[in-house]
Amino acid sequence: MSKPTADWERVGDRFYRKTQLYTSVFNPELELENYVVTGAPYSGAVALYRDEGKIYTYRGNQAAKSTIDIHSCAGKLIRQIPWDKGRIKALGWSEDERLLVVTDDGIVRGYADLQGDFTPFSLGHGAEEHGVQACKFWSTGFVALLGNNSVVAVTRYEEPRPQLLASAPPGEVVSWTVIPPEYTSSRSVEVLLAIGKTVYVVDAAECEDRSLEAGPFRHISVSPNGKFIALYTEDSKVWVISSDFQDRFSEYESKVKTPPKDLQWCGNNAVVLAWEDELHLIGPNGAASKFYYDSFMHLLPDIDGIRVLTGDVCDFLQKVPDPTEEVFRLGSTSPASVLLDALEQLEKKSPKADDDIQLIKANLDEAVDVCVRAAGQEYSIHRQKQLLKAASFGKSVLDLYNSDDFVDMTEALRVLNAVRFYEVGIPLSYDQYIRLTPERLMQRLVNRQEYLLALKVSEYLHLPVDRIYVHWARQKVRSSSTDEESICEEIVRKLDGKRGISFEEVARAAYDEGRGKLATELLEHEPRAGKQVPLLLSVGEESIALDKAIESGDTDLVFFVLLNLKKKIPLSSFFRTINSRPVATSIVESSAIDQDRELLKDLYYQDDRRIDGSNLLVSEALSAPDMGAATDKLKMAAKLLRDSKEFAPQVAALEDAQKLTRFQEAFEKDLTERYVGLSVNETMSKLIKAGNMKRALKVQTEFKVPEKTYWWVRLRALVSRRDWRELEEMSKGRKSPIGWEPFYDEILSAGNTKIASLYIPKCTTLTVGERIEMWLKCGMVAKAGEEALKAKDRNALEELRKQASGPALLDVERMITQLQKGR
Amino acid sequence: MAPTATLDASDITEKARRDLLQLLEGVRGKKNLVIEKSLAGPVGLFVKFSTLQEYGVDKVFFLENNNVDSTQRNVVFLARGEKARQVQAIAEQIKRVRRESKQDHEFSIFWVPRRTLVSDQILEETGVLGEVNVVEFPMYFVPLEKTVLSLEMDDAFGDIYLRRDPTAIFLAARALMLLQKSQGLFPRILGKGENAKSLANMLLHMRAEEDIDASSDPSNAHVHSFDLTPSATIDNLIIIDRGVDFPTVLLTQLTYEGLIDETFGIQNNQTEVDSSITGAAPSQPPPQQTSGANSQAPAVQPPASSALKRKILLDSTDKLYTQLRDANFAIVGTLLSRVARRLQSDYDSRHKANQSINELREFVNKLPSYQAEQASLKIHISLADELKKVTNGDLFLRVLEVQQNLAAGADPSTVHEIIEELIARDCPLTTVLRLLCLESSVSGGLRQRDLEHFKRQVLQGYGYQHLLTFAALEKIGLLIPRVSAGAGAYLNPLANPSGAATVTDYNLVRKSLKLFVDDVNESEPNDIAYVFSGYAPLSVRLVQCILQKPYLAQLTNPRTTPALNSQPSTATASGNWKGFEDVLARIKGPTVDEVQKGHNAAASQARKTLQGSGGGQVKTSIVFFLGGVTFAEIAALRYINGQLGEKRRLIVATTGMIKGDTAVGAGVEGRSFKTR
Repeated sequence: MSKPTADWERVGDRFYRKTQLYTSVFNPELELENYVVTGAPYSGAVALYRDEGKIYTYRGNQAAKSTIDIHSCAGKLIRQIPWDKGRIKALGWSEDERLLVVTDDGIVRGYADLQGDFTPFSLGHGAEEHGVQACKFWSTGFVALLGNNSVVAVTRYEEPRPQLLASAPPGEVVSWTVIPPEYTSSRSVEVLLAIGKTVYVVDAAECEDRSLEAGPFRHISVSPNGKFIALYTEDSKVWVISSDFQDRFSEYESKVKTPPKDLQWCGNNAVVLAWEDELHLIGPNGAASKFYYDSFMHLLPDIDGIRVLTGDVCDFLQKVPDPTEEVFRLGSTSPASVLLDALEQLEKKSPKADDDIQLIKANLDEAVDVCVRAAGQEYSIHRQKQLLKAASFGKSVLDLYNSDDFVDMTEALRVLNAVRFYEVGIPLSYDQYIRLTPERLMQRLVNRQEYLLALKVSEYLHLPVDRIYVHWARQKVRSSSTDEESICEEIVRKLDGKRGISFEEVARAAYDEGRGKLATELLEHEPRAGKQVPLLLSVGEESIALDKAIESGDTDLVFFVLLNLKKKIPLSSFFRTINSRPVATSIVESSAIDQDRELLKDLYYQDDRRIDGSNLLVSEALSAPDMGAATDKLKMAAKLLRDSKEFAPQVAALEDAQKLTRFQEAFEKDLTERYVGLSVNETMSKLIKAGNMKRALKVQTEFKVPEKTYWWVRLRALVSRRDWRELEEMSKGRKSPIGWEPFYDEILSAGNTKIASLYIPKCTTLTVGERIEMWLKCGMVAKAGEEALKAKDRNALEELRKQASGPALLDVERMITQLQKGR
Repeated sequence: MAPTATLDASDITEKARRDLLQLLEGVRGKKNLVIEKSLAGPVGLFVKFSTLQEYGVDKVFFLENNNVDSTQRNVVFLARGEKARQVQAIAEQIKRVRRESKQDHEFSIFWVPRRTLVSDQILEETGVLGEVNVVEFPMYFVPLEKTVLSLEMDDAFGDIYLRRDPTAIFLAARALMLLQKSQGLFPRILGKGENAKSLANMLLHMRAEEDIDASSDPSNAHVHSFDLTPSATIDNLIIIDRGVDFPTVLLTQLTYEGLIDETFGIQNNQTEVDSSITGAAPSQPPPQQTSGANSQAPAVQPPASSALKRKILLDSTDKLYTQLRDANFAIVGTLLSRVARRLQSDYDSRHKANQSINELREFVNKLPSYQAEQASLKIHISLADELKKVTNGDLFLRVLEVQQNLAAGADPSTVHEIIEELIARDCPLTTVLRLLCLESSVSGGLRQRDLEHFKRQVLQGYGYQHLLTFAALEKIGLLIPRVSAGAGAYLNPLANPSGAATVTDYNLVRKSLKLFVDDVNESEPNDIAYVFSGYAPLSVRLVQCILQKPYLAQLTNPRTTPALNSQPSTATASGNWKGFEDVLARIKGPTVDEVQKGHNAAASQARKTLQGSGGGQVKTSIVFFLGGVTFAEIAALRYINGQLGEKRRLIVATTGMIKGDTAVGAGVEGRSFKTR
């Protein structure tokens, strides 16, 4: 066993280590220097594409066919995508392992799930005209640099919306990079363009010159946490500055004449400068270390280190993690290191083991923690075991220790070791695993069609397994050549009874493969009604789609199906379809009332819903531009109902409405006042107010307005025009259908106590007390007294005496005596 | 969100606020905000205009006004995406701005509460989809109070009952689903009414689908473990379909808050009154109380026409109002004078001789709160004064007479004369219609002859356009012709195989649930009937059927054996309809009773243990009013909650606030015949 520190390299006061992940990665004949190589984040797949700019030996027609090859980090070919779609300008990955291919003309093709199917979109913003120069990718988006130096950003791949950023000054872009939106203060992506001697920062709103003078910068690179920028200056120095360009942290001079081919970050505190087979690792404060390779290499930066890929090895270069350094550094006396030693002594059955434990007794829990964490950072299974054993030993000595971390780590390591296995080829570091999350790791396994492993791991970690089954089924649908029935049967058999299975996705895959019938069959097993709808529409099963939409209760879906349906089928069958479905009918009705009245009319006609049809015409009459049109509509409305006896009152009302407008138009002509639009009562009221009693009466008789109503209208109209004479006249009348109190009330509230009082004696149905109250409200105490006197109510008179004053008081007193006398 | 936390309204407010601000932040730079009118109020409940400004909002426009200008590069639309009309309006405005403006614009649309397929399709057809940034602003419930959650959908009543468009029900189900996600499943779903049934079904349906959705949506793979277990804090959900109980809405509310709503209207916890009533024009530097009202004012500048109106905030931040709101208006005067006297004596205490410096300091410290209280007192006295004028009016008394007679079960024909008189006197149409609808609702429809008679009266009195009004009211089921017994029996087996009644038998229900209490005490309430001075709202009685069985049993049948009474109400853990099945069968619409269990019995058990479901836990019942709730009902529920004590919490949730005028107004035709 080699020493753990054998591949450590000191850079300044820190250690870096180079771990060999895989050997004999690629076919030795592959000339890696002629390829463009990019790797997905978190140790994901690697895409290779023959660089068209490089010459290569002619190998006959066959080899000249270009392809994009997707390999695992161990070199296993996962998929080969034939390419004949124009000049590739950039290849990149998103964090969910979606491969993006950008061509010269601004077309972006996204290959999800390591599959050969793509979804394209266009960059627009003049990309076609000026051509794409290059692209820079981050975890969820990318920026494209166009020929005219304008930059276009795409910040998401679901419904991508390319956005043109502020325009940069002209001039050759020597090098450039982006700061992902999550690390900028503006939360929008920032693009750093090295033009001329300086660097410009471009975002959505503005382009700012950072006024540097050491350019042109041949390389520029941003650290994974977005806080630092590494620049390669014209005088072959590497600068590390803060990403806001405020502080300069370190400087390094490579002393190599040839300009480097690449500059990348290795984690957040070291920069790698690469030539064809030489590599400088530059730590803080300009300290550096050099590595040499036998052949041409590519750098694949990741969040916590950098992978170096050559034809035959894949190495991982990273800073030695703190716990690892604590345990293994030569001469380390840290508790963890002692604990490890104790374990070795224990295995040798030496009593020194106990000495060691006694030595670190005070810090034993910390030592256990460090050992557990160091185990996580190890690639060698032997050393993982050694460290965990040490932790376990330490744990056994401790009285109290929470073993959760220990258990979690053993679980994580089991998973990591399984996926690092060369046939799977995902060399995740522990930190990457935590950042990636187990769920997304499952997705990656599934993408590589490692279904069995994914299932085992999911069960081990208690993760949902439905996605794995669904993916398997989709793959089955795509690739299987057996007849549809048996495919369906096999899928259903495997997936049946599993929780949370989305048959819709499987069905969609079948549909995309052109297997419409299979899609429909599979769809029947989908439990969520709503999900079935779009696909049912695509396969042309509209009425089933409508039923499913109604079943889901989601009115939006119903509406959506209806919109599609209406476009597709003739109106009569559309009505037939919705007829038996009340929800659909109501939705059609409520949307058509704003948008499509003709449709509604047809609907009512077809259904023989006359009253609704008639009302629709009334509604149109109300919105009619002029009275003539309105009358026509009313006529039509009445005509619709005339045949049927049950609608007689409705028809009568419609005819009355027309009659009323006729009357009103006549009044308008005669009296030059507006009448149209008023109701019958309002018309009468207005006529009375204007003194046209005859006409008002005419309206009353014509429309058979009840006597009571007419009297009320008249009373209120007269009061409102303060026609006291007429009201006084009316008080002489003998009978009123509404009684006389309303007269008293209305006139009193208009403030005329004199006229109001005229009506008090007529209110014979009221009690004496009420009438006394009425007199008092008119301020006529004496009259009130008379009322009391008539009723011989002594108490009321006494009460009145208290309120009375002046002559009224005398009157009341006189009445009291009169009453006394009379007794 | 921790699934064990108790339901807290402020969490919902905070989340809505955060979501909106985050979305605004996502649009870089200054922007103009175009907001749908009906959203301005709810949004104003949780974000102040000044905060929006901090997030780059320059000017705010109403979508309906169609006047957004091109002063800012960014234009943000905030609207509901369920109706095609709204989507069309947005598309038009985008096209207009694009046509008229010289510069390039960035358009964003925040759909509330979700992005719809239809909106996408319409935007695509109008050719703007490619250039707008479409996101969702998932605002469902807006808390009006700590215990009142509202979806604030103004059209919900009309949509559900008139247009039979179940969108509101679907969105309500979504909103309740979100509650279940944070709180755990409602262990029991109870309800009454056709729409309550469909809402309950949707909830069950959604729960079944939730499992699959959670796992097939890759973005939330990590929260997949949403394996719903019954909630330990929420006991049950009680869904009351407004269609089951129209009379309660149609009656005039007699609580203080209810009466303010009836008279001035309350929108999003605010009422608007003429500044001549409350004095103190808003332009003057307002005292404590008004400054509160102003800062809470909706985030949108008030339209200029409201210069003479003053907005008053009515919520629990006003201590005095909290005491007054649920009281019957009859005693508000007494309450107010009591508070006035107390304030006076508190204030006078400063004259006390030989006060120590400490006492003085204490007094000075309290001064601001005195002033706030005084300002609030002043406002409420003038409001109560104005209301008094209304309630003393002849019209109000007449209307009340009719209402009380109908509610008490008197022969409807006795009130017909008054209704006719009201029509002849040209009293507001909605008032007349409310009375007619009330009669129809409590007596299973109007006699055909009476109905035709009143139709004629109304058409003559208010115009022939109201032919449409009557058609609409009939569709809603508010004003229907009575079906003779024979025809009903013939229709019944066809209409509802379930056997549930189609029409409520009010005479029977009134007796068996004691919907009318004669000896009601308004000042010291002894029954929920105090909110209508005699009538006990059916909706709330239904809630009592579940939560206050012994009380209700005793009330309706005073001779009940004490054995039934002695059973503690908590004996039936999550509540049910038991004991009231007979009455329920006579109320229209199906009865809902569903139990929800977790997949994983062990997990539910574990959660229960963790929560310590035993003694100390406060149990929550959510009462969801589908189609709207009145302030009087909320008052009655708060009263019940007071009776139930500390161990139970009632939360009222609804599609929106409602009162009789809005319910009837959903059917009223607004246009009239005019020459243009």
